[in-house]
Amino acid sequence: MSTGNALRSSSALVTVSVLAVLVALPFVLTEFWTTNILVRAMVYGIVALSLTFLAYYGGLLSLAQMVVAGVAGYTIAVSVPGAIPENSLQIPYSLAIPLAVVLATVSGLLIGAIAVRTREIYLLMITLAIAVSFYFFVQANVEYLNGYEGIRNVLGPDIFGVPLRTPYVFYFVALATSFALYALVLYVSGSQFGLVLQGIRDNPRRLSALGYNVAHHRIAAFGVAGFIAGIGGVLITIYNIGISPGTVSTHSTISILIMSVIGGLGHPIGAFIGAVIFTIIDTFAADLYDRDRFNTLIGVVFLAIVVASPDGVTGLAKRAGDLLRGLRLIAPGAVAADPTLQANVPSKD
Amino acid sequence: MTSRLPAIELSKVSRRFGALKAVDDVTLSVAEGERRVILGPNGAGKTTLFNVVCGDYAPTSGRIAFFGQDITALPPYARARRGIGRTYQNSLLFNGLDVLENLYLAVRGVKPRRFSFLRPSRDDPHVKAARDIADRMRLSHKLHVTVDDLSHGQRRQLEVGMALASDPKLLMLDEPAAGLSPGDRPELLRLLRELPRSLTLILIEHDMDIALPVADLVTLMKDGSVVIESTPDKVEHDPAVQAIYLGEAV
Repeated sequence: MSTGNALRSSSALVTVSVLAVLVALPFVLTEFWTTNILVRAMVYGIVALSLTFLAYYGGLLSLAQMVVAGVAGYTIAVSVPGAIPENSLQIPYSLAIPLAVVLATVSGLLIGAIAVRTREIYLLMITLAIAVSFYFFVQANVEYLNGYEGIRNVLGPDIFGVPLRTPYVFYFVALATSFALYALVLYVSGSQFGLVLQGIRDNPRRLSALGYNVAHHRIAAFGVAGFIAGIGGVLITIYNIGISPGTVSTHSTISILIMSVIGGLGHPIGAFIGAVIFTIIDTFAADLYDRDRFNTLIGVVFLAIVVASPDGVTGLAKRAGDLLRGLRLIAPGAVAADPTLQANVPSKD
Repeated sequence: MTSRLPAIELSKVSRRFGALKAVDDVTLSVAEGERRVILGPNGAGKTTLFNVVCGDYAPTSGRIAFFGQDITALPPYARARRGIGRTYQNSLLFNGLDVLENLYLAVRGVKPRRFSFLRPSRDDPHVKAARDIADRMRLSHKLHVTVDDLSHGQRRQLEVGMALASDPKLLMLDEPAAGLSPGDRPELLRLLRELPRSLTLILIEHDMDIALPVADLVTLMKDGSVVIESTPDKVEHDPAVQAIYLGEAV
């Protein structure tokens, strides 16, 4: 299929150029933009990616992804040296981070096992219930999680002797991690498991009649999403130099959902596009609009995007692409160069 | 022939939906390799019977045996792995995937190690099997077309192809000719006739030009029960069949 190859190589070209721009950006932008906008967008974007993965490939809309990120965040916060209040575990980051990701994956699987029989609005309600319970749990637990105040001074590991939180270092670590997870999602979507997952989204009944255990695959999808959100949770905790119940509040849960929806649930890249847009609005809304009411502005932008394009920014881009391709089909090659000819020349089939 | 175990055997199987007895005390036995056609007016319980055999609904009462083994309590995926393949009256396909991916999933579902995070390689035997099925269903030129963009006829071809892809022992086709153009019907008949004789086939079909030539035996259902079980030539001229079928369907 030549058109398929052309499409694939052109999308590879876009990916490489976007990546090149992202690598160059921190040398052009101010530190504020690099750290407060881009890094923040990437670390939260990873959690949004886990939500988009579940929604797009599995047809499963979960509000519990911030819980999973929180499990990973709290795991490193209660185990690494330097964290305040001091913990008795004192596990180095090189062990704490894998442990956090494993526990996040396990909690993803658990949430999947709880939610596996529910669909759509009921799935949304169950995962919302899990999110709210988790928030109240961490807030109430003073003994280990330090309750309302949470845990401070989680500084992150050193990378080759340089602290991770050095702006450039953190930027490139976040970028590499985001890209790796994004590539992972794209790879898995074409894998045996990814195809089964899309089959479940399109038609669970048929998939079952073909010999697949739908429930097991659904739970596994939550596990994969838990792995992704867990890595996001580790980075979020180091980015915020700690974690508190606010990180896993309903407000942040909804922020993640807004990122995914603004970006569009129709493609994994939407999670990051949505995260960048959300972070920019979230950061500057207070300057542009009444300090106490900047959430209204966020709400209005959210509504405007959803009304203009229900499938988010990626949906908008897809439609623009289709439109362009349509125009090119009508006026191919040389004819396109001469606009006066276009109207008179019948289109070649 | 009688000494061998029947491919599928239903003993006093019923399925109720509230007060409605969709399938009412059906006892039915289909021999290995047999072609059985199930006829009956709309609402006779034919599709419900399929759903009960394939595990979409558990029977309210009764027992189902597949080559002598009790499968009454098995979930649909376990029955598929034992060798029951089926199609649906309204195509149930994976609309977001392309033809090859649909067929690949169908080939892969009954094979071990179906849980893999790796992509199938280019020369994967299962991908090859999926391509062969596409060839057989005359869909080779549509391999990379998303199901959403297929014509109705092509969707029906894919529907049958997916049931065949798992290489089932028992194939159950629910109105495969539904919505096919007259030109596509001989093609379907050819396909049904070319099925290996080792395969057991149960077919729900209203089109007599397709149903009767392939049938060994015909079962007529009405209001959830089996009314007549006979050979096609007798059924064709049976006044009771004509009364039930023509009297109510027309």
